[in-house]
This record gives sequence, structure tokens and C-alpha cells, in this order.
Amino acid sequence: MSGEAEIPEPRAGVSFGREAWRQVWASRVSRACLAVLAVFFLAALWGEAAHAWYGWKDITPPWQAQDLAARYLSPGAGHWLGTDGLGRDVLLRLVQGARIAFQVGVVSSLIAIPIGVLLGCLGGYFGGKMDDFVVWLSTTFASIPGLLFVLAIAMVVGKGLLGVFLAIGLTTWVGVCRLIRAEVFRQKERGYVRAARALGFSHARILFRHILPNVIHVALVSFTLRFPAAIGTEVFLSFLGIGAQGEPSWGTMISSARLRLWQGVWWELAAVTAAIFAVVLAFNLLGDALRDALDPRLRTAQD
Amino acid sequence: MWRYVAKRLVQAIPTVAGVVLVTFVLFNVVGGSPAAMVLGQNAAARSLEEFDVARGYDKPLFFGHWTGTRALEEVDFENAPPGVRAQWGAGETGGLRLEDGEELALPLAFPLPEGGRWRLAVTGGGPGFPHNGKKFRGFSTQWKKCFHSVENPEFRASGGPVEIRAVRLEKATRHFFDSQLLDYVKRLLRLDFGTSASLNQPVGRLLLAGIGPSLALTVPILIVELVVSLVLALLCAYRRGSWLDRGLVAVCVALMSVNYLVWIVIGQFVLAYKLGWFPVWGFESWKNLLLPVLIGVATGLGANVRFYRTILLEEMHKDYVRTAFAKGLGEGKVLFKHVLKNALGPVITNVALALPFLYTGSLLLESFFGIPGLGYLSLNAIHSSDVDVIRAVVLVGALLFTAANILADVALAWVDPRVKLS
Repeated sequence: MSGEAEIPEPRAGVSFGREAWRQVWASRVSRACLAVLAVFFLAALWGEAAHAWYGWKDITPPWQAQDLAARYLSPGAGHWLGTDGLGRDVLLRLVQGARIAFQVGVVSSLIAIPIGVLLGCLGGYFGGKMDDFVVWLSTTFASIPGLLFVLAIAMVVGKGLLGVFLAIGLTTWVGVCRLIRAEVFRQKERGYVRAARALGFSHARILFRHILPNVIHVALVSFTLRFPAAIGTEVFLSFLGIGAQGEPSWGTMISSARLRLWQGVWWELAAVTAAIFAVVLAFNLLGDALRDALDPRLRTAQD
Repeated sequence: MWRYVAKRLVQAIPTVAGVVLVTFVLFNVVGGSPAAMVLGQNAAARSLEEFDVARGYDKPLFFGHWTGTRALEEVDFENAPPGVRAQWGAGETGGLRLEDGEELALPLAFPLPEGGRWRLAVTGGGPGFPHNGKKFRGFSTQWKKCFHSVENPEFRASGGPVEIRAVRLEKATRHFFDSQLLDYVKRLLRLDFGTSASLNQPVGRLLLAGIGPSLALTVPILIVELVVSLVLALLCAYRRGSWLDRGLVAVCVALMSVNYLVWIVIGQFVLAYKLGWFPVWGFESWKNLLLPVLIGVATGLGANVRFYRTILLEEMHKDYVRTAFAKGLGEGKVLFKHVLKNALGPVITNVALALPFLYTGSLLLESFFGIPGLGYLSLNAIHSSDVDVIRAVVLVGALLFTAANILADVALAWVDPRVKLS
């Protein structure tokens, strides 16, 4: 073929995703964040396994076992992070809290991201009436005050984690939807989409096989940026008593620890605070690094 | 300009309609029966029905000519529990059998009230099944008939035995759109937000009483936060890349990562209780507001400084800044006279979009520090399942947000001639 020489040779084997990953990995801060998140993720997995094991065996798990002789023990050899007002080990409860926090982050994202991606794709690609509908729906949801909307959904669904999942998932898809819609709008006019259309591909194929892989990084970035917010909301709801029921979530731990604080029992609150701080900080920093790597247009603004 | 304002107002109509619809769906459709919530699950069907009729909850949700009644629970003999089967006198399995000439005995929970129109929908088949009703899908197994008389919504087998699968009793509505949604919209147009079930007061009055304390808390937070974060962001942008900039950005990210609850718990414990610098609780003098305002500013500061810094730096990459530098202006002059003015747009938008949250107040700050504002009211309403209060707060918050959006656009068009009004 004569035209072969004119086509610029793509850099061998380096995809956009791998390039971005290389850039994220190159930063020491990002690697530290990934390490912190890995530790918490493993703790959450272990917590999940332990939770399932004790549930299956039908015995009281150690993080619920009360030992009134060992109340308010300060951190020491037996209990690394001390015990709470019922003699329960704070470290074990903290791990269970991590389990619930990660569960909420993942499940609420599994609700929000598909809705946001689907609506954003449809609105951005088809435009017209479809876009009007998507814009109307997202504007409506966006104009309802966030935390109150979350509380209202959780109240209507009822106490428990299901309410938390739905409340966070159904209120946060709007951000994903807007970002994806704008990105699809931009991609739609690119050459490869026109080429695909000229080849007579169906809309579904163009949208989901050609455009979607080029915009899905937006969903990834918003996932990492949304995760800490979801954790914060879960802590808030559980603190109010409409989130996790009868399980040690970080919110319920703060709720009981704050009363003990006045009696000088600081370690429970300190442990939860440190755990939330570490996870949220790691997600915030990683989200920034990912955004810089995946969205070069924003890089100038970050300096 | 006024045409632009009018146009934005018209554009907001679908959003307002959407918000009304979402609150309706959330609280009236998903929320379940308010009668059962108020009177308890074991209340008699008759008192539940009277509660519903008094408040319009017996009407269909969106539209319809017919609506259900509690006098007779809809029954499907395919999967009815034994208790219900015994009520109807049906056997162990299968449908309810009627012999020739036998009338269907309805186990009504209470006698049907006078003056209504009723429709009995019976699904079944057999040689004695009357054929004077509508036929469905070409079979005579489905049969519906409208009874205008109150006394006898009756069904009788004639000319052979009949097997009945399902029975449903329905009440006629006044007209097709006589629904809960219409009632809801009508009440909203009269600015009637309902009555708080736990406090036994009109919700409108509760909102008016709560808005003052909420504003007393949130307006100072907004102003102090805006000034402090703009100054810090300008410092960062002015000395970008220096240790000051990098240190401030790092502190901001750290501030953002401390949980909101922790700020309040520790702030109240250390500053008010341990050190005694501020009052711990109450709403008597301006001193009570100092600590909540301080905490409110601290929680939002990190995100705001970062946001304004990004905007300022984005502006600093533009051509006019390079021109200004090229013609020899000093850094300070460029920053304050050129960049800040041009970055005003996003700042205005950011502030305008924060305005609705002035009204909602801060849920947690208010309840922790005992400030009787709307946040305090909302949290109490959540705890006592006070649907009307929550719905009203959500609705008014959303309307204010929509209004603030319009305000932001208009303000933007006013300060920035580049924004096209068309």
C-alpha cells in the first residue's frame, strides 16, 4: 500500500491508560496513597470475611463481644487501640467500620456511575429531545439541597445500609452525568466518530464501542473523587442513627465516642478520626493525580 | 437585560415542576401510607380510611377514574394466605367456587359509606359466569362491571357454577385528574406546606421561625469564608510555586480530609469545654455564634481556597496577563487589577450557589450548638419521621437553589459584558 508510510507510527504498546498510570506511579505521593488505600482495602476485605464467617457460624463476633471488666482500657498490649464503654476492642471495630465505609463507597458508585454514564452518553450523543430530558433530570436533581435530599431518601427507604446506598447513589449521579455528557459532546465531532458513522455502524456500536472507551476515564476520576464524599455521608448518616444498624460503622463509633470524650476517653475518637483522615486524604490526593494524568487540559490550571 | 431575566425565569419552570414531582414521588409514592405511620399498623381499616379521606390520601396518586378502598383488600386466590381464604370461605386450594344462583359474599371491613360510586372487578370463569361485562383478550374469563348503587356491589352466578380467581373493589373519583398530585400542587400554590405531625404546628410558621437563627449562623460563615479564602488564594497565586503556596495547598488538602463531624466534636470539646473560650451550647447572645461560625469557616476553607486558587491560576495563563507583564506592570498590579477582576465570574457563581445553603442552615452545627434554626428543625423532623416538615424544607431549598442559579447568571451578565444575553 502506498499510503502506509504516511500514517504516523503509534508509539509501540503505550496506550493512553498505561501512559497515565505510569505518570501516576512516578509520583511518590501517589504511591504512598495507593499503599494506604491498599492497607485499608485489605482490612475491609478481612473485615468482610470475618463478618461472613461469624455470621455463618452464628456466634457473637469479637467486635461485638462485651467485656464489662475491660471497659475504657487505654491503648496497650492487649488492645492496641484500647477498648470502648462496653469493653469492645476499638481496633476490631475500626476494621468493621472500614468494611462498611468501603461497601458504601463501592455500592453507591455502582448505582451512581451507571446511571450517570448512561444518561450522559445518551444526552451528549443524540442531543435534541433526549438531551433536553437528560438536562432537565440532572438540573432537577442538582437543585435539591444535597444533604437534605440524602436524609429524605434515607428516611423514606428506612433505617439501614440500603437507605444509605440508595441515598448516596441517587443523589450523586448528576456530577458524573454532566462530565460524561460534556466529554461525549466533544468526542462526537472527532474524526474517528465521523469515520465510524461513514462506515454505517449503528448508534449503539459507535456510542458504546467507540466513544465510551474514550470518555470512561472521566468516570474513573469522578469515582476516586466521589469515594471520600460517600464515606463522609455514610459517617454522617450512621452518626444520626439512620445508617448502619447494630454494626460498628465509623459514624456510630464517633457518636458513642463523643460522649465518652467528656470523661477523658480520647482513643476511640482519635482512632476513628485518624482512619477517616487517612482514607479521605489518600483518595483526595490520588484523585488529583489521576485527574492530572488523565485530563491534560486541566494540567495547566494545577501548575 | 429584563428580557434576559424573564427568559431565565421561564427556563426555570420545568426545573421547578421537576422538583415538585420528585418530592411528591419521594414522599407520597415511595414513602408508604401516612395513615399507618400516624395511627399505627394495627389501626382499624375504618379509621385508616377516614384518615385518608380527610387528607385526600384515598385518591389515586397521579390520575384515574377509579381508586382502591380499604373496605375490601384486593384478593388473588392464586397466592392468598390461608387467613384471607378463610375470610372469603374459599377452600384450601384453587379459586373461590360459587354454585348456580349463589351470591358472592364480600367480607367488607366496614359498611360502605353512603353517596359513593363503586365498581367490583371479578376475574374468573365457568358456565355461570355472567357475560354482560367487558371481554378481555377474546376470553370471557375476565369480567368487570360498574355498580352505581351503594348497597349492592354484587356478583351472582347464574346458569351454572363459577370459579373466581381475583376480586377487587374500587371507588369512583370525582374526575380523571382528581388525584393526590393535583391536591399537592394546589396546596403548594396556596403556600400551604402542611402540618408538622410531631410539633402540631403549620410547617410554614415553623419555617419562618427557623430562618432567622439559620441566617444568623450562615451569613457570617459565608462572608468570613469568602474573604479569608480569597485572600489566601491570592497569596498562593501571587507566590505560586513557593513554599508558602505549596504549604497552603497541602494544608488545604489536609483540612478537606478531616471529617466534618470531627471538626464539630473536637472544636466544641477543646475550645468551648476544655479551654472555656466560647459558650458550649445555647442561643442567647452573639457570643454563642462565634464558635459555630469558626468551625463552619474551617470546614469549608480548604475546598474554597483550592477552588479560587485554581481559578486565579487559570486566569494567569491568558494572553492579557502576558501582555500586562510584557508592558512592564508589576506582579501585584497585574494580580489585583487585572486577574482578580476577570476571575470575578466564577467567584460570583460560587457564592450564588452557596446562597441556598444559607437557608438550609447547617444541620449538624445547629443541633450541636443548640441554635433553633432550620437545620435543627430538619434533624428533629428526620428523627420523628415528620414527612411534611422534611418535604417543605427540601422543596423550599430547591426553589431557592433555582432562584440563586438565575441570580448568578444575571449577576454574571451584569458584571461581564462578554456574556451574551441571547
